[in-house]
Amino acid sequence: MSVPALLSATHLTRRFNKHVAVNDVSFALGGGEILALLGPNGAGKTTTLRMLAGLIAPTSGDVHIDGRLVSARTASLARTRVGLLTESPGLWDRLTVRENLTTYARLYGLPSPAHAVGAQLEQFNLVSRADDLTAQLSKGLRQRVALARALMHEPPVVLLDEPTSGLDPESAHEVRALMRQLRERGRAVLVSTHNLHEVERLADRVAILRTHLLAVDSMTALRARAPGRRLRIGVRTDAIGYAASLGSETGLDVRAEAASLSIALDAHRLAAGHDGDTPAIVRRLVELGAEIESVAVEEASLEDVYLRLLNAPVERPA
Amino acid sequence: MRARILALFGKELLELRRHPGIFLPAILTGATAIALPFIVAVGVPLMTGEPLASSPQDAFVQELWAANPELRTLGPEGTLQSWMFRQFLLLLVLSPIAAAMSVAAWAIVGEKQARSLEPLLASPVTTFELLAAKTLSALLPAVILSVAMFCVYVAGVATLAGAGVALSLLTAQPLTVMFLLGPLAALAALQLAVCMSSRANDPRSAQQMGALVILPLAGLMVLQLMGAVPLSVSNVLMIVAGLVAVNVALAAAAVAVFDRESILTRWK
Repeated sequence: MSVPALLSATHLTRRFNKHVAVNDVSFALGGGEILALLGPNGAGKTTTLRMLAGLIAPTSGDVHIDGRLVSARTASLARTRVGLLTESPGLWDRLTVRENLTTYARLYGLPSPAHAVGAQLEQFNLVSRADDLTAQLSKGLRQRVALARALMHEPPVVLLDEPTSGLDPESAHEVRALMRQLRERGRAVLVSTHNLHEVERLADRVAILRTHLLAVDSMTALRARAPGRRLRIGVRTDAIGYAASLGSETGLDVRAEAASLSIALDAHRLAAGHDGDTPAIVRRLVELGAEIESVAVEEASLEDVYLRLLNAPVERPA
Repeated sequence: MRARILALFGKELLELRRHPGIFLPAILTGATAIALPFIVAVGVPLMTGEPLASSPQDAFVQELWAANPELRTLGPEGTLQSWMFRQFLLLLVLSPIAAAMSVAAWAIVGEKQARSLEPLLASPVTTFELLAAKTLSALLPAVILSVAMFCVYVAGVATLAGAGVALSLLTAQPLTVMFLLGPLAALAALQLAVCMSSRANDPRSAQQMGALVILPLAGLMVLQLMGAVPLSVSNVLMIVAGLVAVNVALAAAAVAVFDRESILTRWK
């Protein structure tokens, strides 16, 4: 059963004069899902987020939030359904944490601004700093205030532009924990980031963007599509002889490293749903006299997948 | 809509309260504008021992009495003092303009520089609401400053000038100059600064464009001193009507040129 999309982009394109910043991007994001948007600098990630947030209009294509089309007429309303964390916290430095949040609570028309602000201060552990000017806060605390501001109106769609960039490990950990909480609460979370480890730990799906969308899929599916998945088999004795025999018999890329064999698996067969050639390979090694000590599949890293997709020849949509 | 304007207006006033230095140019302009007529109309005659009016038969005094019979009660010296203090009122109008421009130029470009404009634009606030809040929050200090400066001016005249001169400033002409022409000129200046701030990259550029409003006012003051355009109540009201039209046009222009996309994507 498919999850109904809270956020969808259909053939989203944005040009700035002759420069195409985003080209024909389509994807959908359901509640309780984290989609990571990856791409090099200048790939169009921030432009995409701005279009999704109703900040700038696409040159062509549509954005739907909660099933409603975002247009110039509906952008103001759409912005009440989206929480956007911008790349820079963008706080009013001459105002306190409480004053910053209260202003936004009023801008979002919350029925009880003081109550909403109090709840955010509690949730983001900012109570003790509520009456400090935001100029006095550390980068991590400023980011926390910005997150509290972006989520105060409890938007179903959350867009985060590099939320952990420049944060210390503890603050970054807190932000990741918050993203997991948002997923548990059924929010659709789109996070733009350069941090591949963060994506591996957090995202349900990954979208790789370089002006147009190179891929959007689950981590497992992306890894399966990438070469670099290898079978590592530990044997009791030297592996060189087995590698030569196995390689010549199967045509597979087999490498020997001391008492270990590393065999490239057929990515296409794996992607098609086969469990690979593993049982056959192990059986053949036993027939060759090898005493098997361990068998493990080494996954391609997200970095491998990412770099491979980025370096692949660009296929322009028709 | 009103709630969002008020929310932003409140935030602007809080920021202004914590950034009083922004009013320094306006206060200095106002202090100079106040001091100058006192030096000319009171200080110089006192230091040189030569009164402004040589005799009641002074041609200029007779001319002023013919045009303003109520001034006869002030005597020749008081009449000339009253005339001078009225002439310099236009200079006093520059003070709220300076205040409005400082605030307006900082209000939009300052948001851009602090990177706080993007989250603000990501909220449901519309362009009209944003500009209305920014304009009101810049206009309010300008009007307060106008009133304060005028009070100081009148109090100074009451203390240092001849008897009855201060009362002559509490008549229709000076009051329309101070409380209609002044705020409307300030509004025009700040709207021009707001228009420019969506195109400019720093507050100084926006402020310099807003300063253009000073040029016609300075010209008006020169013409008034030359006697070419006497600032009678009817003339002031005509200028006020012109300023209303200019302000309506500038308000429409401000909304039109405040291009969210350009501000977000072109400004670094």
